[in-house]
Amino acid sequence: MTALLLLLATASASEVTVWHSYSGAEQAALEQVADDWESTHPDDRVSLVALPFGGFDTKVDTAIPRGNGPDLFIAAHGNVAKWVLEGVIEPWTSDTTGIAPVGLDAFTVDEQLWGLPIATKSLVLLYDPSRIASPPQTTDELIAMARAETADGHYGLAYQAADPYFHAPWMHAFGAVAIDDDGTVSLDGDAQVQSFAFARRLAVDEGIAPTQPTGELVSRLYEDGDVTFVISGPWFTADLSRPVAAAPFPMVSETGLPARPYLTVDGIYQAKGAPSPELAQDLAWAIASAHGAQTRQDVGGQAVTWTATTGASPLVQTLRTQAETAIPMPTHPDISAVWEAQAYALRRVMRGSASPERAGREAQARFEQLQQKDVVEVSRSPYIAAFGVLLLGLVGMLVVRLRNPELRNELAATKWDYFWIGPAALAMIALVVTPFVLGAAVSLYAYQGGEWTFVGLSHFSDILLSRDFPITSPMSFFYTLAVTILWTVTNLTLHVSIGVALALVLREPWIRMRGMWRALLILPWAVPNYITALIWKSMFHAQYGAINKLLAIVTPGPGPVEFDWFAQFSTSFAANLATNTWLGFPFMMVVTLGALQAIPKDLEEAAEVDGAGYLTRLRHVVWPLLRPALLPAILLGSVWTFNMFNVVYLVSSGEPDGSTEILISEAYRWAFSRNNQYGYAAAYAVLIFGVLLVYSRAANRLVGRKVL
Amino acid sequence: MATVTLDNLHKAYGETVVLDGVNVEVASGEYIVLVGPSGCGKSTLLRCIAGLETITAGELCIGGKRANERAPRDRGVAMVFQSYALYPHMTVRDNMAFALKVAKVSKKERYAQVDEAAALLELTPLLDRLPGQLSGGQRQRVAMGRAIVRRPDVFLFDEPLSNLDPALRGHMRVELKRMHRRLGATIVHVTHDQVEALTLADRIVVLDKGQVQQVGSPRDLFERPANVFVATFIGAPAMNLLPVIGEGETCRLEGLEQALPVSGTGAFTLGLRPSDMFLADSGIPGVVDVIESLGSEAMVHVTVGAHDVVVRAEEPVQVNSGDVVHLKLSTVHRFDGTTGRRLE
Ligand SMILES: Nc1ncnc2c1ncn2[C@@H]1O[C@H](COP(=O)(O)OP(=O)(O)OP(=O)(O)O)[C@@H](O)[C@H]1O
Ligand SMILES: [Mg+2]
Repeated sequence: MTALLLLLATASASEVTVWHSYSGAEQAALEQVADDWESTHPDDRVSLVALPFGGFDTKVDTAIPRGNGPDLFIAAHGNVAKWVLEGVIEPWTSDTTGIAPVGLDAFTVDEQLWGLPIATKSLVLLYDPSRIASPPQTTDELIAMARAETADGHYGLAYQAADPYFHAPWMHAFGAVAIDDDGTVSLDGDAQVQSFAFARRLAVDEGIAPTQPTGELVSRLYEDGDVTFVISGPWFTADLSRPVAAAPFPMVSETGLPARPYLTVDGIYQAKGAPSPELAQDLAWAIASAHGAQTRQDVGGQAVTWTATTGASPLVQTLRTQAETAIPMPTHPDISAVWEAQAYALRRVMRGSASPERAGREAQARFEQLQQKDVVEVSRSPYIAAFGVLLLGLVGMLVVRLRNPELRNELAATKWDYFWIGPAALAMIALVVTPFVLGAAVSLYAYQGGEWTFVGLSHFSDILLSRDFPITSPMSFFYTLAVTILWTVTNLTLHVSIGVALALVLREPWIRMRGMWRALLILPWAVPNYITALIWKSMFHAQYGAINKLLAIVTPGPGPVEFDWFAQFSTSFAANLATNTWLGFPFMMVVTLGALQAIPKDLEEAAEVDGAGYLTRLRHVVWPLLRPALLPAILLGSVWTFNMFNVVYLVSSGEPDGSTEILISEAYRWAFSRNNQYGYAAAYAVLIFGVLLVYSRAANRLVGRKVL
Repeated sequence: MATVTLDNLHKAYGETVVLDGVNVEVASGEYIVLVGPSGCGKSTLLRCIAGLETITAGELCIGGKRANERAPRDRGVAMVFQSYALYPHMTVRDNMAFALKVAKVSKKERYAQVDEAAALLELTPLLDRLPGQLSGGQRQRVAMGRAIVRRPDVFLFDEPLSNLDPALRGHMRVELKRMHRRLGATIVHVTHDQVEALTLADRIVVLDKGQVQQVGSPRDLFERPANVFVATFIGAPAMNLLPVIGEGETCRLEGLEQALPVSGTGAFTLGLRPSDMFLADSGIPGVVDVIESLGSEAMVHVTVGAHDVVVRAEEPVQVNSGDVVHLKLSTVHRFDGTTGRRLE
């Protein structure tokens, strides 16, 4: 039998391809395991391919059905049900003795195991060992300890309280779940509401935690020794220079039940259609078990599912203990909509803009809105007919035109021109036209649970007739369109007035070190805009932001200013506006500087001698000559601003309650955080295109000539 | 109508001295023409008067009052730029009316004034065009018109006729003269054109290297040039300059045996205008080199000793290249051999 296997292996002399998205120590550990395996399989090779985490799942979805996939891939258990449905993975039928049951549970779909669990990740309670001798057993203890730790700038506890992932341990302790096995969601149930109230108490009312904690802020606070307890995962320790200790979550005193975080289980999947399944399974087992598991634990710092490893670090040991009570992350297709709704409720509760009961009710309503309606397939035939008629009409028009001898002569005379523009035209078709047409086609389909259903123009009619939401709701297309227009107009007004004003000042003869000023003022433009957006976001932080610190200096009265910029539309919008103005004025300034250079100096001198003062000269001489250069820039700038995703997404993230969202970021939410409603999002994209098309045509008209 | 007084005016751009102590007094209503080689500082001087350049040192008075610090619009001057400086986005009419609009003159009145000036400058059919739709000469006239409409105390013209064809230039010269008489305004006019300078000016200011070489009436300048520079700069063709050594009643020219019949002592420069000599049967001998015919007259280049001397002669000229001819002199000018100053 062994001989036969060996023979088989030799005969194929195979290479086993493994896709993964590990980096750093985890990647190093995996490489070592692969090397060790190769040394015992001299005729076979392992090819490890590290893919970026962001596009990993999509790549699996698309490559494997086309036969371009790997033999094995390593991914979390989140998509296992989907992949079973899509048929991209094989079941695991061999022995699994020695692997912890909690891992196996995560990969079980319909009583069948679909992957080999190798490691778990979950949140744990992290604390500063220099301040805390033994970790708390109950949340009352935790709160008492944290309270004792909180004093002048030092906090007892920091965690991302408004994030459903971080809220999950409390939710489970109160006996609630995000979504039942049968897909029932009750965000307004008593248990949920109690957990919201508890989170509010923990993160706000007790006064032991900083406000608006982001992951980045939590890390910084701990790094600076400004916080004692942190709720986070193994990744938190990666770049930390201070010692940190870990403990399993305490019991929630109110219920007497343990706080149970979500568990993410990484596993090895066997792709459908792998050429040598036995060999792939052999490698998979080597990675998951015994020596491979020990290596991953020791080198990669993973909390492995192999129960027989030894010498685990305290952190890994804690993670393994926590894994025993943790709850595998739900894999139901509706889960992202649950999270969006739950995040909405948590933000409102934390902000104090709704009671836990009301937030729960609203979250439930929002979930129901976000949940995909039953998709009604419509017949394609009228669409195909309409498309056919359109195509026929186009061809007919072409034929009629081609029958014009003048045009034919012209075409014959210029046929080489078409040849020369051919490559550029092909590139345009491949890079611009095709994606656009495909995107537009997507808008005619609904995507649900891995299935595409043809729904015709019903997305468009739903959106434009505002069927799903009242027109005044931030979720409605027209509300967002109005915000987007306000956003574009206010931005452009500020960009142009500041840009022109600065250019005019820079031109003044009394300015010293003109070059330096010019370079400095162009700088905001040269920095990648997401970096700028993140910096501004942190400047608007209620507690640590520079803006509130400055306000504290200029406002009378003692004590810090902790104004929440993102709690109401006006200031949240203003924060976005300030950020984008910072990003946008240099472009207008540069355009103006260039246009000013082109205005002969003696025109202004002539006006000066003619008796015109500075403002008169600006109005009657400089501005009219500047305008032709500025109008195209304004048109361009308004299109950019209209679609300025980064700033809105990163600075206000639509806060409060999605009201500062613009069309493009709203489309993104539909596509990626509301149950992947790609078709609906594509309809948004088509509508954005339509709005911009109409706008630029109208603007061209207004300008009176073609500028774009 | 105002006087303009430049008292020891200096203008420097950093190290570069452009105007080096200019003293000129322009009487009210006087027509002053400023001439000088390219780059000598003529435009700079006008810009100083207009207030477009700060004055480095010295004093500028307009209408008897110090004007160094006065803003351009408070100086009561109108300027025609060498580059016209028409507002490209305004019609000819609006260009010309701009100053009045700024001065808040009613629309009706300012268009009436524009129409008047346009008629004077033959611009009436062009009033609704943009500057970009005009020829160079037409633009120059619009620029003139823009200045005229303002009725300033002082006009500053920077080569206002340089782009016109000779016929139109002649016509405009007459118009300028007529306008000057009618408006009685003080005018400072920069030009390269001698004819323009001699025909228009009440007085001419000759500028070189930022310094005034001579101020005087056209006659003065022509008949009694203050130095070698003015002597050669005014009059066409230029005055012949010969280095000679005086011997009392006569003087000697290098390479010529015969003494010249000009009195003097020591080394000096002898200036002879081509029109102050004529060909004769006897006199100073020379050999004809080249003959330039100008229609009714000709310029005969004669080699006298080692020097080339240009002599004006009536056509038809009876001599040929290579002939030996004799020159007779009527008027002569004497200049100091080293300083170039006129010797009386
Ligand atoms: N901004 C400046 N900086 C330095 N030098 C300058 C500047 N403007 C003019 N000059 C110099 O000043 C001198 C006088 O210039 P100006 O324009 O007055 O000459 P101009 O007599 O009007 O000559 P043209 O007959 O060619 O118009 C020139 O040598 C010029 O190079
Ligand atoms: Mg000049």
